[in-house]
Amino acid sequence: MLSCGGFSYEKIIVENLKYKYPDTDQLALNDVSFEVEEGEVIGIVGQNSAGKSSLCLALTGLIPHFFNGAYGGKVLIDGIEVKTSTITDLSQKAGLVFDNPFTQMTASKYTVYDEIAFGLENIGVSREEMIERVDWSLKMMGIENIKDKNPFDLSGGQMQRVAIASVIAMRPEILVLDEPTSQLDPQASEEVFRVIQQLSQEGITIVIAEHKMEKLASFTDRILLLYEGKQIDFDTPQKVFSRDDLHDYGVVPPIFTTYCKAMGMKNKKTNTYPVTLAEVSSLLGGENNEWNKS
Amino acid sequence: MNGIKVENISFSYTEGQPVLSNIDVHFRQESTAIIGQNGAGKTTFVKLLKGLLKPATGNIYVNGMNTQEYTVAQLAKQIGLVFQNPNDQIFKHTVIEEVMFGPKNIGQSTEEARQNSLLALEKIGIVHEADKNPYDLSLSDRKLVSIASILAMKPPIIIFDEPTMGQDYLGKERLKKIMKDLRAEGVLVLSIIHDMDFVAETFERTIVMNQGKIVLDGPTREVFSHEQLIRDVYLELPHATQLGKQLGLKQTFLTVDELINFNRKKQ
Amino acid sequence: MTLYVKQDSLIHEIDPITKVIYAFVAALLPYILPSHTVALIVLVISIMLLVVGKVFRKIIPLIGLSLFLIVSLVIIQGIFRPDNVTPLFHFGPIIFYKEGLSYGLLLMLRVINLLCAFGVLILTTKPDDLIQSFIQKGMSPRIGYVIGSVLQLIPQMSATIATIKDAQRSRGLETEGSLLVRIKAFLPLIGPVIMNSLISTRERSIALEVRGFNAKQKKTFLHEVHTYKYAKVIQAVLILIFIFAILWRIFL
Ligand SMILES: Nc1ncnc2c1ncn2[C@@H]1O[C@H](COP(=O)(O)OP(=O)(O)O)[C@@H](O)[C@H]1O
Ligand SMILES: Nc1ncnc2c1ncn2[C@@H]1O[C@H](COP(=O)(O)OP(=O)(O)O)[C@@H](O)[C@H]1O
Ligand SMILES: [Mg+2]
Ligand SMILES: [Mg+2]
Repeated sequence: MLSCGGFSYEKIIVENLKYKYPDTDQLALNDVSFEVEEGEVIGIVGQNSAGKSSLCLALTGLIPHFFNGAYGGKVLIDGIEVKTSTITDLSQKAGLVFDNPFTQMTASKYTVYDEIAFGLENIGVSREEMIERVDWSLKMMGIENIKDKNPFDLSGGQMQRVAIASVIAMRPEILVLDEPTSQLDPQASEEVFRVIQQLSQEGITIVIAEHKMEKLASFTDRILLLYEGKQIDFDTPQKVFSRDDLHDYGVVPPIFTTYCKAMGMKNKKTNTYPVTLAEVSSLLGGENNEWNKS
Repeated sequence: MNGIKVENISFSYTEGQPVLSNIDVHFRQESTAIIGQNGAGKTTFVKLLKGLLKPATGNIYVNGMNTQEYTVAQLAKQIGLVFQNPNDQIFKHTVIEEVMFGPKNIGQSTEEARQNSLLALEKIGIVHEADKNPYDLSLSDRKLVSIASILAMKPPIIIFDEPTMGQDYLGKERLKKIMKDLRAEGVLVLSIIHDMDFVAETFERTIVMNQGKIVLDGPTREVFSHEQLIRDVYLELPHATQLGKQLGLKQTFLTVDELINFNRKKQ
Repeated sequence: MTLYVKQDSLIHEIDPITKVIYAFVAALLPYILPSHTVALIVLVISIMLLVVGKVFRKIIPLIGLSLFLIVSLVIIQGIFRPDNVTPLFHFGPIIFYKEGLSYGLLLMLRVINLLCAFGVLILTTKPDDLIQSFIQKGMSPRIGYVIGSVLQLIPQMSATIATIKDAQRSRGLETEGSLLVRIKAFLPLIGPVIMNSLISTRERSIALEVRGFNAKQKKTFLHEVHTYKYAKVIQAVLILIFIFAILWRIFL
């Protein structure tokens, strides 16, 4: 963790966050605390109802500004406290992609191109820059070929990519994605993860809730494991996926890890199992002495 | 004649842009996965099987009934389709009423419908929610309600359209079990699906669609042995299959358990 | 749902506001000056504009749709108008009067005229251009959004209804046939439609929020609304004609 003269370089700081939706009696988020550095990619995992979506909403200020309810603790986005800021101000820092692409289409634009420009028009970006940014995000998401189509004439998978493009066009410093690949075919979801990787290399901080563990293992720096609103773990994919009690939280590790666990193939130094195909093969190939069969 | 016989059908929404062309296939009893890139024509294909769309050329026989000659409601006894979004069907105030709607439509008595509905909810694991309002359930549980509402109609053929969408590990395991149990009861199960691991673990037969055509059709293991072809149509191999290849094994492995057992024996 | 027809024409090049003014002036003139001649002249001008705009054929089905209304207007006025005195012809016992028919004819001209005048606007103007022009003239972007989204969400709604209909038919619900069958099919269709729109509206409003919909900054626009060289001149002429017509009505 870097810190200098009392100022921290953490892009996201969550401290003892608690939240309960109105008219419910269970905490959706129960004492969650973690910090994310600039350019990191964080995966949120947990079974359904664990609180993944709620956390995404809390990082972008929709909780507590759009959803009322009981709120405790603190969320700082790039030094700004979410609770005392506004959704509009936060929206220019942190972008959010939802799981349902259909309701992310504004319904007031007739082409994909105009749809992506919508957010930029709202925040008063100049026309030249707008065109440049829309072109850039079309290219990023590989959807230049559909730029003149009506957003509602697209398939779910295509719409999901337009939704992501619409948010990255706003160039947020922090990008939060809630199950953004649910409707995508395998290669399209792989592409989304590649885009995420590229964005993080450009310094964008990324938080992504997902069920595809193999993808998270390859593309994230750290994993936040939630269970019934509580934070169970926040560590490297190797550490989190090597946990013996993962099953108890309704989560399974990547298949590669399951295999290595069964075969007792462990990294002796770190005491963790491989989580990606590449790690399995480097362990087998002996290219890397760190990985050794125990 | 049981099963679905598809005789050389073609279909297009707008003239001159064929969405499906020359599909000729027969489903008997093996559980079958339909996989392919977004836009390949999978949903269109199952809508044709279900009779919601009628082929432009060719014929489809569902348990011997030509879909061109019957209304969708008449075919409902023979073939069930679970839609992607459960919100597209739910309109009753309780889960049990919702599930009983289909069975009553196809002529089951109220008592019979209730029995079958409770049984279906039991099978799916949400019988304790029977008296709740469906909209008080989470979306993934609502999805289970929509599955139960088809199961309760007891059709000999059931089709799912991307049932694993948004499901977590436990939800997928439950689906897997439902499908395998249905298969064991002799129900013909077809499913469109993007999750290759789920395909590998669940289905006996796999059909690969690309640009409105069937490009591969066979036992799941054999289909996933065509690595290059699978990649060419923008899909990927199941993770266990990838791992098997990485381990330098010749056979095509479908599940991690297969791999573990194989290597344990070898040791 | 949008009736806009993409074409390359002189009328398409005219800016939206000028066309809005034209539509209102053309629609109102036959009321201000209630003579057949005025209505006919304005109608002929609108039709000419439609022809120049290469969209004349699109207006015919719209007029066709209102034909029932038009015909019944003429008949009712022809038979029942209170100041009917001069019988013109009769069908059996029903007598048609000159005054009524003449008034019915005027009403008919006004309706067709209204359709054609607004046809010029709607068929040759992109809805977003129109809305954007209004926003730039000071209309609230929120209202602009609502108008724009209604145009899109109505066709979207019919797609949703089609899906819902499919889902219920799949559960053995007959949706076609006698009136009774259709009434019985109403609830299973309308319930999900309402629930779906409520859910979508809520989700969509959240999604708009995070895309800066309520940002305080001054809005910018991706597209320039095309300006038209003679816009000011045409607008001035239209407004002059309008004022002149009112004065004419009052003083002559
Ligand atoms: N709008 C809401 N109103 C009330 N309760 C909600 C709402 N959204 C989610 N919850 C509840 O909050 C908890 C966490 O849900 P969520 O954050 O959606 O989990 P996940 O995304 O991991 O599935 C669940 O118990 C869920 O029922
Ligand atoms: N209602 C429709 N009207 C016109 N075109 C459609 C319609 N539904 C699907 N299509 C088109 O048909 C093709 C196949 O779509 P679909 O069957 O939904 O594919 P999949 O389910 O494999 O993603 C796509 O190109 C899609 O755009
Ligand atoms: Mg969620
Ligand atoms: Mg589909």
